[in-house]
Amino acid sequence: MSTLLFIIFAGMAIGCAIAMVSQSNPLYSAISLIGVFISLASIYVTLAAPFIAAVQVIVYAGAIMVLVIFVIMLLNVEHSEPRRKRLKFLVPMAIGMAAVLLAETVFILHSVQITENHPAANISDVGLTHSIGVGLFTGYLLPFEITSVLLLMAIVGAMSLARRTTILSATARVVPGSQVLAMDIVNPRGVEDLRMVETETTEEAAHLLGVDFHSERSERE
Amino acid sequence: MAWDNQYIHALVLIIAITVAFLTIMLLVAATVLAERRVLALIQGRLGPNRVGYGGILQPFADFIKTMMKEDLVPDQSTRFVFLLAPMIAVITAIMAIIVYPFGPTITLPFLGTFPLRIAQFDVALLYVLGVTSVGVYGIALAGWSSNNKYSLMGGLRSSAQMISYELALGLSLIGVILLSGTLDIYQIVEQQSGWYGLHWNIIYQPFGFILYLIAAIAETNRVPFDLPEAETELVAGFHTEYSSIKFLLFFNAEYINMITVSMLATTLFLGGWNGPGVAQLPLLGVVYFFAKIIFFLFVYIWLRGTLPRFRFDQLMDFGWKFLLPAAILNIVLTATVLYFTTG
Repeated sequence: MSTLLFIIFAGMAIGCAIAMVSQSNPLYSAISLIGVFISLASIYVTLAAPFIAAVQVIVYAGAIMVLVIFVIMLLNVEHSEPRRKRLKFLVPMAIGMAAVLLAETVFILHSVQITENHPAANISDVGLTHSIGVGLFTGYLLPFEITSVLLLMAIVGAMSLARRTTILSATARVVPGSQVLAMDIVNPRGVEDLRMVETETTEEAAHLLGVDFHSERSERE
Repeated sequence: MAWDNQYIHALVLIIAITVAFLTIMLLVAATVLAERRVLALIQGRLGPNRVGYGGILQPFADFIKTMMKEDLVPDQSTRFVFLLAPMIAVITAIMAIIVYPFGPTITLPFLGTFPLRIAQFDVALLYVLGVTSVGVYGIALAGWSSNNKYSLMGGLRSSAQMISYELALGLSLIGVILLSGTLDIYQIVEQQSGWYGLHWNIIYQPFGFILYLIAAIAETNRVPFDLPEAETELVAGFHTEYSSIKFLLFFNAEYINMITVSMLATTLFLGGWNGPGVAQLPLLGVVYFFAKIIFFLFVYIWLRGTLPRFRFDQLMDFGWKFLLPAAILNIVLTATVLYFTTG
């Protein structure tokens, strides 16, 4: 029974993976990738690791792929033109990696056949929530904490990148004749700030308002 | 009878799934009718009362009428995804019900003992959260594949909203998990029995319960968080282009989601099937279970009749700047108290 389930889900995973690579529409690729994740989660369940399966679905299929689909929907890239010229150097690399993967598979199959099969005791306890929790907070505490710090750094980094609000957008210009600059021209994201200054140039206005200002002209110089 | 026979076991399982499915569908129909009648009551109208006694057949009449409509697929839509989206929505909604215990283990004459639940496994609660998080795709893909600006806006809004509130939803449950020490819903319910309802988790986790209720209403896209289908700005949101049976699937998915969310609230916070007299008459537990669910469904309708809709930036601010920190604070408080009381 479990062999049959494994064949079904492994077939689904491989089929979805091939579909993911071969699709030209990025959204179809994303949907196929979700299929891969869900079939992998099903295989984890048959391997008596329900916690890993649930986390796989929640984190990969539920959170990360939603963000990917979100980006695809926002950019609305429907049919990206194939850029074969740029990706040409990847072909020999892909062949090399496939060869390594194939060699690994053959090695594992070979080594399984020459050594005798010794099933570990209490194998059904390994994947349960309790044993994973105990493992994470005792034996593997250091890697767990390092991973947490890494994730925290990623969050802080993403926020600091997204919050660069004091840089003037390239479209902001001083309109000839009018010498009043509202804060929302100098600093387009601070629309709730309604302070105004009277100056001759955008640079001076930005200086008076206390915002960083990089115009394209000053960059060229 | 030989209950350990795997064929009989499979047959019992199929019967249990069918019964649970039909119960949920009937409850959906009852909720649709109750929603219209209770809203009418709140607004001083009569509501639908002509089809059957007191309008009791109205949902079935609506069902037949909607089925008869033309099934349109927009010309410029992404056809495969357009057909896939309502299926994802309704399948993920139904999949969540298999872990909820409808009642305690009962003993029937001639038939033996039954647990009144379909599946029992170690990570039932995580399974519910996982299925809910996959359910986002139904709405997001429906909005994208329709090739319609309003649908796309609805789909984007819903995925943003559901990602944001999923975090608060999951974190608000952690207090209960800390208290009970298990992810198995059946055990969580059993731990809440006795003491005349004073063992219910709502007593120990009032803050977590309120956070869960708010996050759950947002997660099911209901008033006051029904931005994905805000009819005054987005026509009908993500399901603008859907008609006939495909619209019905989305409609069903929304109500099934309401019911499963109410089931989770009932089992985790309100003691599930527990109530007076359950120890003597276990079947009474089913009645208590559904009575509590119906109470939550009434709260949903009540809110719809009372509250106006949020603006989208208010919704995001509320989710990220209030609900999420409050849920984390609740976890810290619960963990601290547990550390000092249990040692």
